[in-house]
Amino acid sequence: MSFLRAFFARPQTLAGFCIFSAIAIIALAAPLLFPRGPFTIVGMPLLPPGASGFAAGSDVLGRDMAAELAFGARISLLVGIASTIVSIGAGGVLGAVAGYHGGLVDDLLMRVTEFFQIIPSFVLVMVLVAFLQPSLASTVLGIALITWPQVARVVRGEFLALRQREFVAAARMQGLGAGRIIFGEILPNALGPIIVIATMVVGNAILTESALSFLGLGDPNLMSWGSMVGGSRSSMWVAWWTMVLPGLCIMVTVLALNFIGDGLNDALNPRRGR
Amino acid sequence: MLAVGGLTLTLPPGADRRFAAEAVDLAVGANEIVCIVGESGSGKSLTAHAVMGLLPHGVAATAGKILFEGEDLLKLPSVAMRRRRGRDIAMIFQDPMAALNPVMPVGRQIAEQILAHEAMPDGKLRKRVAGLLEQMGLADAANLARAYPHQLSGGQRQRVMIAMALSLGPKLLIADEPTTALDVTTQAQILKLIRRLQAERRMSVLFITHDIGLVAELGDRVVVMRHGKVVEQGPARALLEAPSHPYTRELIAAIPRGQAVPPPPDGAPLMQASGLCKRYRRAGFFAPRGETALDDVALVLNRGETLGIVGESGSGKSTLARCIVRLLDPDAGRIIFDGQELGRLKGRALRDTRRRIQMVFQDPYSSLNPRHRVGAILTAGPRAHGEGAAEAQARAAEMIQLVGLPPEALARFAHEFSGGQRQRIGLARALMLKPDLLIADEPLSALDMTVQAQMLALLDDVRRKMNLAMLFITHDMRVAAQICHRVMVMRRGRVVESGPTRALFEAPRDDYTRALLAAIPGRVSLPS
Repeated sequence: MSFLRAFFARPQTLAGFCIFSAIAIIALAAPLLFPRGPFTIVGMPLLPPGASGFAAGSDVLGRDMAAELAFGARISLLVGIASTIVSIGAGGVLGAVAGYHGGLVDDLLMRVTEFFQIIPSFVLVMVLVAFLQPSLASTVLGIALITWPQVARVVRGEFLALRQREFVAAARMQGLGAGRIIFGEILPNALGPIIVIATMVVGNAILTESALSFLGLGDPNLMSWGSMVGGSRSSMWVAWWTMVLPGLCIMVTVLALNFIGDGLNDALNPRRGR
Repeated sequence: MLAVGGLTLTLPPGADRRFAAEAVDLAVGANEIVCIVGESGSGKSLTAHAVMGLLPHGVAATAGKILFEGEDLLKLPSVAMRRRRGRDIAMIFQDPMAALNPVMPVGRQIAEQILAHEAMPDGKLRKRVAGLLEQMGLADAANLARAYPHQLSGGQRQRVMIAMALSLGPKLLIADEPTTALDVTTQAQILKLIRRLQAERRMSVLFITHDIGLVAELGDRVVVMRHGKVVEQGPARALLEAPSHPYTRELIAAIPRGQAVPPPPDGAPLMQASGLCKRYRRAGFFAPRGETALDDVALVLNRGETLGIVGESGSGKSTLARCIVRLLDPDAGRIIFDGQELGRLKGRALRDTRRRIQMVFQDPYSSLNPRHRVGAILTAGPRAHGEGAAEAQARAAEMIQLVGLPPEALARFAHEFSGGQRQRIGLARALMLKPDLLIADEPLSALDMTVQAQMLALLDDVRRKMNLAMLFITHDMRVAAQICHRVMVMRRGRVVESGPTRALFEAPRDDYTRALLAAIPGRVSLPS
């Protein structure tokens, strides 16, 4: 209870949470709301938002923008969440191992991490996705590959501080193994920062996916916000909504996630003001 | 000088009680040292902060007045209060490391305080700062003023804090547990310094402490506080000799007095260590060669015996403990535990032997995992050694009662317990593994005096019941005398002197041991 109260203490966190929930519900319900799917041509092209039957207008091919946005949310959120899970998993484990063991293990893993951090990240994703053929899986993999280093850094920092605590020494004396100490003893205490960074990685992943789709490196069979922005390049001067609406969706979603991240950061901080 | 009348401090809603202090009356006369004695949660610190006008957010003085030279500080506008603060009333804190700015030379920090109240040319200012530091008994004041806080020792830092507090010649000095974070010998020096400065400057001192033993050293008058209320106050000597309130009596009884500990039982040696050396290396090419933490240390511990290791911070006593439990590996030397050399053990054999050596840690707050329930904390060890869940649960319930907590405690989290209760849980965790050797690394230093006395009794009781050998690490000679059969005094990684407790107290051979004994506050009676 006190956690929820602290979480929703700031109005922007509540707003962020409501917006994100609404987007998630629309994304889940898209096939029910728009049974014909996002690619079907259903009317005149370039109808402005508000035209009868087209709340969000229609695009250059006469497809329903509302359906496109709803189905785009599915892909954007799916990519965001899937790549975050991969990224947190890989970065978390590497960071935890490096932070707990220290010394040579830490040095080695951190050099690898730095190697990924100094490569221009977007170029890396583009090359990787182009090499593996554009698909949902390659996008997720590519995004995870460029976001795990920051996760690893944060987790390592947490572990470096936490392993000095006496309860870790006590666990070693009780005879617990390294894996048990890392995942059973220390990790639960590091969850706060990990959850917070996860919300930021989701936002980052949605943006990266949009950028990839904009450049035509997304899965051509799937509708995403990024590909909508990309596809509307030719029509933006005659039909502003074809570009502005998906762009707005990206912005609002990322903003909502950042608010949620800030709220979680405050709520999970044990020294939060009561 | 200072008269606090009917002061009530209200805590924010949702705190564990309504008032931090309730109708507190106390007075500090000119040229007088008044001690407020109380345990954690007694409201002593907040009362002092109220005088300074530095109450934390959410705490408010809702009744009463604080008269300073006849003026009610609670009614003073904040600008006027700021002028008083520092110039007329100054304060020193428990932890000088936290109270000093780590990125500014200490001389500048003192100068800053002076400049906040009066303008002064540079040369004069520098001279004044150096003069202040010299008065604090610090040698080479000019150089010291250029040092950063981390380059100073704890005692030096506290002296700098005092210099800062006294830089404007305040009429009242509030000292909030200024020696709690210091070693005993340093504590004795700081107390002497405060007494000397008080006499020289004829100022008033309000000294806050949890250690009633200090009162005899320092105070003209004493105020005893408990749960936000003043339970008793009066002249120090009279109050210490004839306390009228039962709580005061309890506090005085809790001062460890070094009872006569029976001679060590004739147990067979359980652990022998010889030639232990450990250096801490600093990383980097140009780092200095590092610090010697242990230098050729040897010790023998018999079954059923308590060996006290006494020393100040940096004496290597904690390093020694961590080498014995193999949380650290010594650079040289051997530790033989029950016939096996610890350094050679690996894998399974190491785990089995390690089970037999358990430790109670210093910090009750960081030694229990905040995310686990007490039951899980207690059973994790036995489960890792292959004990069944049901059996481990049953033993945990037994053990938690042995250390004086109800079995319901198993279902709760560590933060729901007080510091003393947490140390009991830490002890139960160690005992769950049925150790032969228990290492207690300053298990009392974070606890209140009365809680210390209970914990000490519990440790001794458990040792006897389970026939443990115990290595008791402490900086406090009084505590060592209370529980240890033999005492080993360490300084800068070397063993200075060791022997049966009584002999060591009656006829210390080394100068350093004598200094440690002389620094005991309150001059408790020697064991006889």
